[in-house]
Amino acid sequence: MTRSFILSAGIGDPALADPAMAAQFVTAAEAAGVDLLMLGRHDSLPFDPQVIAAWAAPRVSRLGLVPLVSSRIAHPFHVARALSAVDYLSGGLLGWCPVAQGGSAAQLADLVRATRALWDGWDDDCLIIDKASGRYLDTTKVRPSNYVGTHYAVRGPVNAMRPKQGHPVLVCDAASPFAVPGLDVVIAAEGQAFPAAARRLLRVDAGADLAAMAARFEAGEIDGLHIDLTNPAAELARIGKALAPLTQGRPSAGTLRERLGLPLSLRNIHEEIA
Amino acid sequence: MPRPIHLWAFLQGIGHYPSGWRHPGAEPEGVFTMDYYARVGRLVEKGRFDAIVFGDQLQSRGVRGRTPEHLAMPTLDPMALLTAIASVTQHVGLVNTLSTTYWSPEGLAERFATMDRMSGGRAGWNIVTTAHPDTAPNFGDEELPEKSQRYKMAAQTVAQAQAIWRERNAALGPSPQARPVFVQAGQSGDGRDFAASIAEAIFCSAPTIEEGIAFRNDMRARVAAAGRDPDAVRIMPGLSFILAETEAAAIAKDQAILDLADEALCIEYLSESLNCDLTGFDPAGPIPVDHILSQTCFPKADIGRALEKPAAIGLPLGKFASGYVRTPRGHNVFRGTASQLANMMIQWVEAGACDGFTLQPAYMPGELEIFVEEVVPILQAAGALRTEYPGSTLRETMGLPRWPADMAA
Repeated sequence: MTRSFILSAGIGDPALADPAMAAQFVTAAEAAGVDLLMLGRHDSLPFDPQVIAAWAAPRVSRLGLVPLVSSRIAHPFHVARALSAVDYLSGGLLGWCPVAQGGSAAQLADLVRATRALWDGWDDDCLIIDKASGRYLDTTKVRPSNYVGTHYAVRGPVNAMRPKQGHPVLVCDAASPFAVPGLDVVIAAEGQAFPAAARRLLRVDAGADLAAMAARFEAGEIDGLHIDLTNPAAELARIGKALAPLTQGRPSAGTLRERLGLPLSLRNIHEEIA
Repeated sequence: MPRPIHLWAFLQGIGHYPSGWRHPGAEPEGVFTMDYYARVGRLVEKGRFDAIVFGDQLQSRGVRGRTPEHLAMPTLDPMALLTAIASVTQHVGLVNTLSTTYWSPEGLAERFATMDRMSGGRAGWNIVTTAHPDTAPNFGDEELPEKSQRYKMAAQTVAQAQAIWRERNAALGPSPQARPVFVQAGQSGDGRDFAASIAEAIFCSAPTIEEGIAFRNDMRARVAAAGRDPDAVRIMPGLSFILAETEAAAIAKDQAILDLADEALCIEYLSESLNCDLTGFDPAGPIPVDHILSQTCFPKADIGRALEKPAAIGLPLGKFASGYVRTPRGHNVFRGTASQLANMMIQWVEAGACDGFTLQPAYMPGELEIFVEEVVPILQAAGALRTEYPGSTLRETMGLPRWPADMAA
């Protein structure tokens, strides 16, 4: 299987909460071949990125939406529900990037584990929805999570369906690291340690020599680039052009997880991998 | 000209009837797709509704972790669904239910501020305190705070959120409505006083026109006593409906939907209502009253009273459950023709029983489509329903002052 280059871009500008601006950014990101649009930056969350992701969900056809989720105000029960809904509404194009915003890395990891435990309370194939027999679901495939962690205790079952992708793509920004097994994507700057993850993206400025950076993908050092945008509309057009040789011709169908070649079976990931 | 009627669509789940998902006109798979919500949003906007309202809970359906097999439970997060609908509509308001007990002021203030901005000023907040005991363990608690304590917390949380909105609006420029429209649904004394102090719209149950008039008069008096203008509060009772070509056909249609509630569904529904799993009991056997009272975490005295008579006459469990599902509780259930429904709605509003209705279609989206196609034109021809939206924000649509007094700098 050929490796696919992964392009990530992040917007921390409060203009993201202006729908006219957000519409431009989403359209430009999709046109530039961006795979992961990070909504917010670890040090700048423009309003509530989960709400912006919900708003953007009907507007994306291949662009992955990655709201930053701050453990400063998030609770796993609310996070599990919001992300489940947006994953369905976007057709399985959701990721999430938990950040501590001054809180502890231990709490952040606990938030991730508790949220995953709630999703794992529902099996992928629990729904029957048979009007003739009157059976809506198989009750043996839904169970309380009874999660008790270091910071959160959540019983469940959560009143949300298991997300379309099982779990949305889990992204870790090395600027706000947390230790959980089964990270999908990690973003780190030059010289920063990469936590273990399925895919590694190098953080670069929008002004960087992208072609030179991209050579490191060809050499197998990294799986792609993450670019923090400061002037999103203009920068996205330039980035799209500069990286076109790497981004064109990649698969555009399927869920984000499928397209990025990430593991699809995530049941009880904390037990299988830890 | 008749007084204008305000319409809200209460669309949690796929219809008001527990068996509604089995109706041929229901699309239970749709609730997991954007296409469904886009269609519903456009439909409601075509009917010139003020708003879509999603109820919400913070616990799963069922009892003690056993999830029902026969009840639909498509409870995706309403904030996400409503904001996605905002993205594909222009006018319809979006009222989200959110708990003051299990959300922090910071978290909910940020969520609604973002929603108000992304929707261009169409956000509403149905303020609830969360009453179901099973919610507490989802948030690391053993039990819910007691009711009057919850209302005290609600008042504090709302005040803290208002302070955050004032501060953020001053720093970033105001969101289109400054804050979401406040909606409340409390029926108790505590609930009514809380609503009178802050609500711009009140959702309630009014099974008859007389009860509607009594409730609206009571609320208007409480609003005035709180120093607010009663004309700046909309009273919106729930209204479920079954429409057909003739009244007899509507009654037959209602019966057919109720007949889709088989015994297994009814026992699960009753189990949920009593907070006691009855699925292991023989439907032909007696109602296990002692077991129910030992298991439930709902008020035992109320439940004991409700079970007393059916148990005394020896009603079998299955029959009791079926009767329970078939008995309307609280809300007005209309069965008849489109013109009968339109006339009833105009009559209620003219009589001062309400300012409009929170419509609860029996199944979705089929029954709501019939309402928009058949009842809306009659209301419009009578001059009781707008043909165009008056502005862009929810407050403008509801005919309320654009800037709430509490948000003045």
